Amino acid sequence: MHKLKIEHLTVEVEGKVILKDFNMSMKSGEIHAIMGPNGTGKSTLSKVLMGYPSYRIIEGTITYDDTVMNDLQPDKRARLGLFLGMQMPLEIEGVTNADFLRSALSAKEEDQFSLMKFIKKLDTVVEKLEMDKDMIHRGINQGFSGGERKKNEILQMYMLEPSCVILDEIDSGLDVDSLRIVGQNAMNYFHEEQPIVLLITHYQRLLEYIKPTHVHIMIDGTIVKSGDISLVEEIEKFGYDKFKKNGTHVIEEMK
Amino acid sequence: MNKILIENDIVVSAALSSKIKISFLEQSEDFSVNKLVVDILKDSKLEIVYHNESASKLDILIRVSEGVDAKITEIRTGNFMKIRYRYEIDTDGHLFVQKIHHMKGIRELDTIYLNGERAKIHYILKTIATKREKYDITVYHQSKYTESFVQTNGVNLEETLDFHVSGVVPAGRVGSIVDQKNRIVNFTEGNCSIHPNLFIDEYDLVANHSAWVGTFKEEELFYLQSRGLSEEMATCLLVKGFLLSDLELTNKQKEEFDNIINQYWR
Repeated sequence: MHKLKIEHLTVEVEGKVILKDFNMSMKSGEIHAIMGPNGTGKSTLSKVLMGYPSYRIIEGTITYDDTVMNDLQPDKRARLGLFLGMQMPLEIEGVTNADFLRSALSAKEEDQFSLMKFIKKLDTVVEKLEMDKDMIHRGINQGFSGGERKKNEILQMYMLEPSCVILDEIDSGLDVDSLRIVGQNAMNYFHEEQPIVLLITHYQRLLEYIKPTHVHIMIDGTIVKSGDISLVEEIEKFGYDKFKKNGTHVIEEMK
Repeated sequence: MNKILIENDIVVSAALSSKIKISFLEQSEDFSVNKLVVDILKDSKLEIVYHNESASKLDILIRVSEGVDAKITEIRTGNFMKIRYRYEIDTDGHLFVQKIHHMKGIRELDTIYLNGERAKIHYILKTIATKREKYDITVYHQSKYTESFVQTNGVNLEETLDFHVSGVVPAGRVGSIVDQKNRIVNFTEGNCSIHPNLFIDEYDLVANHSAWVGTFKEEELFYLQSRGLSEEMATCLLVKGFLLSDLELTNKQKEEFDNIINQYWR
């Protein structure tokens, strides 16, 4: 059983405070969806959890199991079991997906790494995600469409077998078919491995495939309301305005 | 594969088919250095391997005949070198040049003449600069519908690295394409520079250039690190990708280049 705990987290990006006294606690087998309007700090949260170097933690702690991660490099966090599926996966010229994944996996598994096992698993996951096999031998995300990039993120997730998965708007830029493949595969991974899942999304449609156990509404860098899936219907009906009051949160009223 | 082996300014061996002719002249008139002339008469691939134990100078002329499709791979290692290249490509001639350099300093002047209509050059330079290196590369579009794609990629490890890349298109050379892509990854405090120039006196053409000097982007390192690679491993992977991308190497050539890269990034 793994636990991710975020306590009183305040984060500054380029001199501006984005996350304010943010608190959240998650454990294995839970899917937490964070929803909120644009520019509210959702992506900042995902990146700060993974250790983005120029995002500065002013106050608070991020703890994974018994390890305080505040000062850990991203690779150390990944080795603890964290994985971030990015909203805008980068294109990296010249580094092939296969080389990249092989290096990442051999760094993780060290002496236990088996090339045969790696190839076999890669083939299986590529098939599951209905990806073109040639893509594995192309530069990371090089010439990939938006949908292909997101599938590639899910592919990496499967290969690295994280115990905590953060998916930052994994549904953006996806057509209906790609959304189904990405959503179903993320959910299958959840069923197989029972990781912690933190899902960041704007839209309800992804939640048709990935069913959250907890839903949180985030406004202005903090959680203003938490609940179950029924909260999503409220958002769909009334939008996020209901959760704001003259530009300030209505967190007290909600309580 | 055709191969010319040069050591300390002297051609020590040349295994060539009848499609390629070479002549080697010691001390050319205008440059007071040894001169190698290579004529590519029919479609062919050529490998040129240089190695210099001491500082050296060389003058090379490469001519690609009409309608010929040629590929030259050059692997250069060793001491400081001053070198001047002149490429002349005739009508419908296509030349793909890929250069891999790992030397203790280079001063290089490359002049490319696209002499006939539809002549085309695709020029890729990859260098690991450990001392001072300076390159001047100029492409003259002498005819209509000529195309030049110049890509210079360098990693600077100690002193300075400079690329001066120019494309010249006089009036009347319609339908030409001039493309430059230059990038230096600088691991030092030393000055590196790229000077991309387009001297164009014609409206009917396509021209692009890009120049970028710096280290790898924070986002790139973060992406790789977020998958469990240490900063060192991530940098190593990025350097390899940067240096090996776009090259068309045989397994043996790739192994040679890998061995050079592995001296610094393993």
